[in-house]
Amino acid sequence: MWTYDKKLQYPVKIKNPNANYAKIIISQLGGPDGELAASMRYLHQRYSMPYDKVRGILTDVGTEELAHLEMIGAILYQLTQGLSPEEIKKAGMDIYFVDHTTGLYPVAASGVPFDMKYVGVKGDVIADLNEDLAAEQKARVTYDNILRMVDDPDVRDPIKYLRQRELVHYQRFGDALRIAQDNLDSKNFYAFNPSYDK
Amino acid sequence: MNNNVNWNERSALLHKIQAEDFALYEVALYLDAYPNNKKAMKYYQEHHKIAHMLKAEFEEKFGPLTIYSNHNDQKWEWVDGPWPWEKEGN
Repeated sequence: MWTYDKKLQYPVKIKNPNANYAKIIISQLGGPDGELAASMRYLHQRYSMPYDKVRGILTDVGTEELAHLEMIGAILYQLTQGLSPEEIKKAGMDIYFVDHTTGLYPVAASGVPFDMKYVGVKGDVIADLNEDLAAEQKARVTYDNILRMVDDPDVRDPIKYLRQRELVHYQRFGDALRIAQDNLDSKNFYAFNPSYDK
Repeated sequence: MNNNVNWNERSALLHKIQAEDFALYEVALYLDAYPNNKKAMKYYQEHHKIAHMLKAEFEEKFGPLTIYSNHNDQKWEWVDGPWPWEKEGN
């Protein structure tokens, strides 16, 4: 089970609302490489993972992604507080506003709603861990792109933190892949499905 | 929001807890991959102690951080704001 900690993993305190920033940062809520996809990916890959250490890594990284989902939620919430209808219209946020007001609905910046198609669960150790390594890099690139578009230091600070966590998760998934391959022999070092082919 | 709360103190103490919990989570991820690393284990224990002390102080002054730590037997403080996504809660 999970227990809620009534605090963010890292502070989010944004003084100035900005609909333009919210429009692009929402991709890390419901986009292809966002935090919802990340948490769902790792927390569902756990069950077919045969190695205890890797089960731990998937559980704990997956749980941290939920905390990141909440940080993105806090950023979007604070960026959209107190906006006037004119500001919303001027930023082009009206096409989101008409369906969701300023509620947080997981969509990509392009407007495509969150889709579990972003989440790879192959039930195979090598396939799933390589998926995770790529996913962390793709999320890192998305944060780099957000940092290219956003000037406000109040917003950049938590985004930089989240970007940095992608690098650490990439390292841990590198460890996970090594642990998995230490358990394989020369015949199946690159391709094996131990959860199925016992 | 409660006007009797010292918000600057709350914020400063919360940031200390966030820093300690971050250190703990970071070393926990490392220990998942290297559970026999003595240096990491020691680091975990040191920060666990500090985090525990800071949380006890925070909850005494500002209310529960988890649903299991509503220590006030007269009032359900868990539901009191600010919630973490609000500016005031950070």
